[in-house]
Amino acid sequence: MEATNPTSKAGDWRNYKRVLLPPVKDLHQLEVYEDNGGYKALRDVLSGDKWDPQSVTAEVKKSNLRGRGGACFPTGLKWTFMPPVDPDVPRFLCCNGDESEPGTFKDRQLMEYNPHLLFEGILIANYAMTIKTCYLYVRGEYAQWIEQMEAELEKLYKKGYVGENIMGTGFSTDIVIHKGAGAYICGEETSLMESLEGKRAYPRIKPPFPAQKGIWGYPTTINNVETLACVPLIINNGADWYSGIGAEKHPGPVLYGISGHVNKPGVYEYPSGMLITDLIYEVAGGMRGGKKLKAVVPGGSSVPIMKADMIDGVTMDVDTIREAGSMMGTAGMLVMDEDTDMVSFLRRITHFYHHESCGQCTPCREGTGWLENLVTRIDRGEGNLRDLDLLIDLCDQMEGRTVCALADAAAWPVRWTVTRFREEFEAKCKPAVFPTGDGATEAAVPAT
Amino acid sequence: MPKVTIDGNVIEYEGREKLLQLCLDDGVELPHFCYHPSMSVPANCRQCLVEVGMPVKNRETGALEVDENGDPVIRFFPKLQTGCSMDVSDGMVVKTHRTSDLVKRAQKDNLEFLLVNHPLDCPICDQAGHCPLQIQAYKYGPEGSRFEFRKVKKPKRVKLGPRVMLDAERCINCTRCVRFTDEISKSHQLTIIARGVKNYPMTPPGMEFDDPYSMNTTDICPVGALTPANTRFQARQWEMAPTPSITTTNAKGANCFYWTRDNLIMKITPRQNLQVNEYWLPDEDRLVLDQFNNNRPEGPQVRADGGLQASTWDAATAAAADLLDAVDGSEILFVGSAYATVEDNYLLTKLASALGAATPVYLSHVETGHGDDWLRTDDRTPNTQGCERLGLTRTDAATLQAQLEEGAIKLVYVLEDDLVASGLAAGALDGVSVILHHYNTTNATLPAADVALPAAMVVETVGTFVSEDGHAQRVRPAKAIKGINRTLMMETGKSRTDMHGTPFDRWHNESHQVDCQPSWETLPAIAALLGHPMSYKGPKQIMAEVAANHDAFAGATYDAMGLEGVRLEEIGEAV
Repeated sequence: MEATNPTSKAGDWRNYKRVLLPPVKDLHQLEVYEDNGGYKALRDVLSGDKWDPQSVTAEVKKSNLRGRGGACFPTGLKWTFMPPVDPDVPRFLCCNGDESEPGTFKDRQLMEYNPHLLFEGILIANYAMTIKTCYLYVRGEYAQWIEQMEAELEKLYKKGYVGENIMGTGFSTDIVIHKGAGAYICGEETSLMESLEGKRAYPRIKPPFPAQKGIWGYPTTINNVETLACVPLIINNGADWYSGIGAEKHPGPVLYGISGHVNKPGVYEYPSGMLITDLIYEVAGGMRGGKKLKAVVPGGSSVPIMKADMIDGVTMDVDTIREAGSMMGTAGMLVMDEDTDMVSFLRRITHFYHHESCGQCTPCREGTGWLENLVTRIDRGEGNLRDLDLLIDLCDQMEGRTVCALADAAAWPVRWTVTRFREEFEAKCKPAVFPTGDGATEAAVPAT
Repeated sequence: MPKVTIDGNVIEYEGREKLLQLCLDDGVELPHFCYHPSMSVPANCRQCLVEVGMPVKNRETGALEVDENGDPVIRFFPKLQTGCSMDVSDGMVVKTHRTSDLVKRAQKDNLEFLLVNHPLDCPICDQAGHCPLQIQAYKYGPEGSRFEFRKVKKPKRVKLGPRVMLDAERCINCTRCVRFTDEISKSHQLTIIARGVKNYPMTPPGMEFDDPYSMNTTDICPVGALTPANTRFQARQWEMAPTPSITTTNAKGANCFYWTRDNLIMKITPRQNLQVNEYWLPDEDRLVLDQFNNNRPEGPQVRADGGLQASTWDAATAAAADLLDAVDGSEILFVGSAYATVEDNYLLTKLASALGAATPVYLSHVETGHGDDWLRTDDRTPNTQGCERLGLTRTDAATLQAQLEEGAIKLVYVLEDDLVASGLAAGALDGVSVILHHYNTTNATLPAADVALPAAMVVETVGTFVSEDGHAQRVRPAKAIKGINRTLMMETGKSRTDMHGTPFDRWHNESHQVDCQPSWETLPAIAALLGHPMSYKGPKQIMAEVAANHDAFAGATYDAMGLEGVRLEEIGEAV
């Protein structure tokens, strides 16, 4: 299916030159990265008169960079939430590399192939917010790339790019890589901080927000890996260059992680505002086996699922996709063809959230398990039609009533999959029966 | 003063307050489980959800916007907010379940969730009858459950430590117990393990929950997940009668309830008194049930034919009076007791002075290193301060022994203490007459006694104790004794069946009544026989006299002490 309304906001994306993951061999090595102009942005920012912390923040703000962790919050604005610098009060940057949303695997590519861009971004962000320590919290399963990054970080320390008196400019900052222990909830920013502090990763109540009370109670900014990797690009090329890429209100390069029933699944770097149809049919090589598209989950497993007829003309930027009835999320796109059993799909998703609910708040702890029980029963063909209403009811009971957004993330897929593919769920349920006059029952005639 | 409007009622408040606490202080009931006023706020049970709105301010002028009627425009938060974590601010408008269907629905939904994996074994659960989950589920919960699946299986009988048992299936993960060990007792012995619906509290590997305050977790547990190992499955809540009193294990005077059934003390739980023990009680204070129920004497005894023989109260008091009359006042050693009430010790000093004896002494029972800087003290008696303030002379077993070996003492009158167990050589009492008020038949001085007069213990008497910090507090009888005494009867705690049951199903009955007497009844009886009448109507009158005559007890009348006691003026260095 080709888009009938090809109003891509990505411009001439076919000739787009990759900047986050440029096609350079061994770019993860410091030497190669420097040969390709690496750490120029950092050097510019630290030495010379052009930049001071305020102007770096202003530039990021002007670039309209939005967070890539799923909430699409403007990054520059987030940085300004940090309280004024007080030399006696430590402050922290935390880089969230605990990528664990099903269908999302983009940060891994950055950490594997271009970690120095991330390090450079961290250092510039630390400079912009006058921070002495950044914690890089990486998903524990990425052990191989953690080792690689640790080796590269060692090189940076030796070279004087990180640590005391960076490049002789008097600016000092540290990067600490922390390995997660494998819980989805640790990707939630406040539970990530709890986890960093060595505690059980229970999300915290907000307010106070991390900028007021973060790690160990000190002001903290938390950014996604991909977000911070964009920072050196903005410094090198200017905010105007950055905001000129892709969709106007949500600019910049985006790592689209496409998985599912496409011919070429993988992570693709393109401007924001790509048509979903372009991503599926051009970038990812079309549907596997020439099958028909059935559904797309555009931004990681928790965002509302879209039916094939909903994606026509929809581009990947925060506003357009919200209007179309879903969310941008992490741009990790799950593509499903016509053979997919949506009940079975939802069963797997609910299993995930049941398994990953931290158990702090009642509605999420008890609700996620109940959802899985219900969907499993329907999937086995033992469900009742009333279970579908109960599913929606449970979503109502969970959404917005917990400390963090995991309950929402668990409820949305259920709500939208059941709503948008209700006939498939009904078909799997036991037929409704009603009593006939003589005491027996007979199957209800499906409503037409 | 700043104001909040809750369900249309305007409430004034001062300082920083959380909405839930404000509601509770003001008598507005909001269901909740995880919130506890003395601990941090995790907002994890999600039961206290309310609608919260703030007045809209004009961004430029800062003035409050008003609608056509002149009322301030209120903008409500898009989501329901937990009252426990919400800081109240001026002008806030709150809708609880009384005025908001949304809140009512949310509370019902949440209770449905809480009961999904709860075993609902209320019929065999010790918490039933005073269970916040049970009460609130009846009051705010749904009529039934739509959950049709197998409940999660978790460990049912875990001995977390020597004194606390866990039933993980009942747990609703409010984390009160974990926060208690983290923030209050600071032993850090509990944590939540596993994840999601399999969560439950547990000790770290290799550690046992032997915190000296561990049993407090069983009080704050809002369900029956944590129960005291010593009293579980012993009595249902509604069979027992609580009596507000204080504990006597140490000199802190921690406030407690004694729970009685059939005149047996079934359990001891803390009673809130923010001046003394807040909400807590050390484990040692709860493990003393045995001394109240077992090895209690069966009436007075008098030495005859070389052994102690059962006697009657009249005969025993007469025997005691005869012994006292036979010797000169200077030959009598009166030993008061830091275990006994102020009233009893006061009457003893009165008797001593009437007979011309020296001021009574008392034994100090200090166990150095036993106390902590919280609710346990080195002093293992409840009334050292009371004795000091009455002017009794502190002594120890060695001094007593030396005194007895001099040979001038012909009679020792012991009030509610055990000289031999305190270190006095049993032989030191040979050839000396001994009159003993004792609690238990295990009293090691008993074999040396010539007259043994069983004394009512703290759970059977009315009286006053003064804590280490100079806090004078009353005790009340939790169980009945054999003797009939109007004062005691009027003050005895009553259970629901005592108050509302028929005469045929009263639990408060005649079984297990100990044949003993409060010393404030025994001492005047003896004094009267000796020609020194002490006519008191009861301990209230005695204490009023003490308060009037001793500056150290100024203000400590029964009416003033009430349920929470009176802080007395400092006196010089004691213990």
